[in-house]
Amino acid sequence: MGVTGVVSSLEESLQNVLAVDGVQVAALVDVATGMVVHSVGDEGPDFAAAAASVADEARACRGMLGPGRPGGDLDEISLVTASRIHLARVLSEQPGEGMVLFVDLDKHRVNFALASLRVGQAAPAVLA
Amino acid sequence: MSTPNQPVATIPTPLRQAFIDCAASRLSGVLRVTGQPGGAFHFSEGKIVAGETPGAPGIEAILLRSKRVDESGWDAAFAAAAATGREMRNELIGRELVGAGELEALLRTTIADAVFAVAYGVVEICRAEAPAAGLLVTLEPGAEAEWLLAETSRRIRVLRSFTDPVFNARARVIAVSGAVRPGLVLGEGRDELAALADGRRTPRDLAFVLGRGVYATMLELGRMQADGLILADSRPPGSPADDEEETPSPAVADDAETPGGLPRRRREHAGQGGRSGGRDLPAAFRLLRLRYGEGTSTGGTG
Repeated sequence: MGVTGVVSSLEESLQNVLAVDGVQVAALVDVATGMVVHSVGDEGPDFAAAAASVADEARACRGMLGPGRPGGDLDEISLVTASRIHLARVLSEQPGEGMVLFVDLDKHRVNFALASLRVGQAAPAVLA
Repeated sequence: MSTPNQPVATIPTPLRQAFIDCAASRLSGVLRVTGQPGGAFHFSEGKIVAGETPGAPGIEAILLRSKRVDESGWDAAFAAAAATGREMRNELIGRELVGAGELEALLRTTIADAVFAVAYGVVEICRAEAPAAGLLVTLEPGAEAEWLLAETSRRIRVLRSFTDPVFNARARVIAVSGAVRPGLVLGEGRDELAALADGRRTPRDLAFVLGRGVYATMLELGRMQADGLILADSRPPGSPADDEEETPSPAVADDAETPGGLPRRRREHAGQGGRSGGRDLPAAFRLLRLRYGEGTSTGGTG
């Protein structure tokens, strides 16, 4: 069964996302359950609740796009507050399911567009 | 201890304590949980690498039923793993049937679902045993017991937050007639659930059929119930009726004839309505069942 020292694939790929300037936390969130599948970084006490809310947002946004999705599938959700930026990048979609990469950024330390680009570049490797 | 039809308020203490003890002792072995549905959790150095329970789909069902991996690909990987001695996980990844990160994510969600399914049922005895052979796909590195307990507690809290009575994994669910109109797309996997919710299947059955987690299925069904799209009957087969219609008043029961002199038709002998295959159903549920026929099987379809 288990082998000591086996490196988690998710840990490695999420660490690469965490390396993007300004990223405080990077997590893989299951949309169907709101579960934090894996995370790296400095999680606060409310992180699990925030991640579950991100899953709800993804569901709501997919609903807003409508069944035909004339503008294409959901790619990313951005939530900006006075001090934080939350990015939720859709990694996979199945009916009623899917995974999102949830990234919590320090707004004062990042260029929003550049951070979004960098996170988008690192995202495909998370599930690969 | 909870009964099979009373959703638990929290993780049963024996299960919680067993997980804590197995993690603290860095168990490499199997934690067997007897109960309903019961299950087995495989530990490696105190971390959970696999979970098995009849109450939730395993990784094979999740991958195949959801069509993430096609059966021919799975069979080829299985044959190669058996012939070479390589781990099935490495075969699946090496053949690019699934990504390493995706498989790890699915294994973590599958194990979390197994813990939830066991915790949300009836837990009787938890017993640690020697390692078992024959596991097809394991999570490496394993999941921490503390994380799984926290996630399971969160799931139970979420299900209990619904204002409608939360049904359990063994409740029979049925789509409300007319709620889903032709051409209407519900999205988020609801269409498949509504199509399969025929009054005989349980959330567990639907999870197995669709290759989804049982918690995810129950959560979506709970939302659909809140939206008036489905109804659920959580009572066990053969339980006493809880509405007055099922119990004739003594005056009626003792009166063997109608005022017209005809034999009075007794409710328990009625051909339709009150009971279905010996099972009592709530009044609203019975009305819907009449539209859909009188199927009685509760067996799993997965």
